[in-house]
Amino acid sequence: MIRVEGLTKSYGAHQVLKGVSCEIAKGEVVCVIGPSGSGKSTFLRCLNMLETFDGGTVVVNGHDLSARSVDARAVRREVGMVFQHFNLFPHLRVVDNITLAPVHVSKKSKGVSEANAMELLERVGLADKARVFPKSLSGGQQQRVAIARALAMEPVAMLFDEPTSALDPETVDDVLQVMRRLADDGMTMVVVSHEMGFTRDVADRVLFMDHGVVIEEGTPEQVFGNPQHDRTRAFLRRVS
Amino acid sequence: MSIFHYTDSLLRAAVMTLKLCAFGAVAGTAWGLVVGLLRASSFRPLRWLAALYTSVLRGVPILIVLLFTYYGLPLAMPNLRFSAYICGAIGLTLFVGAYVAEAVRGGLESVPTGQTEAAQALGLSNFQRLRLVMLPQAVRVIVPPWIGILLALVKETSLVSVVGLVELTRAGRVVGQESNNTLAAFALVALVYFVICWPIGQFGRWYEHRLAASGLRTVHEPAVSNLLGEDAEVPTGGAA
Repeated sequence: MIRVEGLTKSYGAHQVLKGVSCEIAKGEVVCVIGPSGSGKSTFLRCLNMLETFDGGTVVVNGHDLSARSVDARAVRREVGMVFQHFNLFPHLRVVDNITLAPVHVSKKSKGVSEANAMELLERVGLADKARVFPKSLSGGQQQRVAIARALAMEPVAMLFDEPTSALDPETVDDVLQVMRRLADDGMTMVVVSHEMGFTRDVADRVLFMDHGVVIEEGTPEQVFGNPQHDRTRAFLRRVS
Repeated sequence: MSIFHYTDSLLRAAVMTLKLCAFGAVAGTAWGLVVGLLRASSFRPLRWLAALYTSVLRGVPILIVLLFTYYGLPLAMPNLRFSAYICGAIGLTLFVGAYVAEAVRGGLESVPTGQTEAAQALGLSNFQRLRLVMLPQAVRVIVPPWIGILLALVKETSLVSVVGLVELTRAGRVVGQESNNTLAAFALVALVYFVICWPIGQFGRWYEHRLAASGLRTVHEPAVSNLLGEDAEVPTGGAA
């Protein structure tokens, strides 16, 4: 589904990704952990071309992102993304946030899109909030709407960029629960997260990144239970 | 002879001024919107052209612009006949367009980058992003300077008299001479300008009150319809 080989990227003289490689299969849930500044968010954002990269190969659902001819919009239609700060459209009601892309990008009818949006809102437990504006929702509710908005495009994979980092602690669980259910339904997910509990429970595989490289990778049992690298051990000590 | 003897010609001149204002406001705003959006284009030469246009038009006296359209347009398109009214109206449109474009650019830049990323991640095209996500949020930032531009427009229409059009200022001078009561004629003319400008200014104040009443100026929320009936004397709480 997603294949990354030797991915490099620099901001000026600072190299943030120094040859990242990984393969993510359909239905797999991969969590990327690591200290801040390790390049994990940049890595994630390369997967839907929100960031350009300098070298290496990235293939997402058959699209070669390093090819000049790559259709960025096609890639983004097929891969959903959830942001740390939700980025809901504040001028649109919840339901219109969700139907915007289906109507204007997928050219679906308003009626079909709205029915679908209501189903998604049901799924994230916010069916009663369809007609309100994002501002009146809590952070956790906004993030669940953001997940519904991404799902409305029926993506083949979902990218989560620290989806709970900006949330009040008491709203984190609702978001994680939605993500858990998504994983159970077989969604391919790449999650950059500081939620070690979630990572332990839900991830099929964990990537530990530091200084722009994948230091260690394995099942949660391997990475959390028996970390091979000093840096992994040091990081896990700090976060747990 | 009393200046009221000339009411008819003054009225006709006032109508001409109003026509120039209406033309300049509508066409200038539309044109400014186009140029402003071009400044956000993904195609660099278009961005560059639009930037050149705004800086040139903003750096040249409107009098010169009007002389250019009056003497230049017939040269550029010898097959068409341009009345002084059309030349003046086009000159004003070019002038208003440059300032509106600048306001639009500022408005678009005020929208947080997360909005752009969310729109892109959903697969929206650049133009869809501008139209569906950015502009609706930028409106709040665009309207206050836009009011100022319209007020300037009303007053700049007096310059169209240089191309021989009888609008208010010109009519005032003629009436003043013929009636031997220059001051009274110009006082009347000034009053008419004020009567045109006053509602525009009031709209601007109402809009600012509405922004202040909604609590925030740049963070976006629904237009609250009951604010339409709000008392105009509500204090703005220091929002300026």
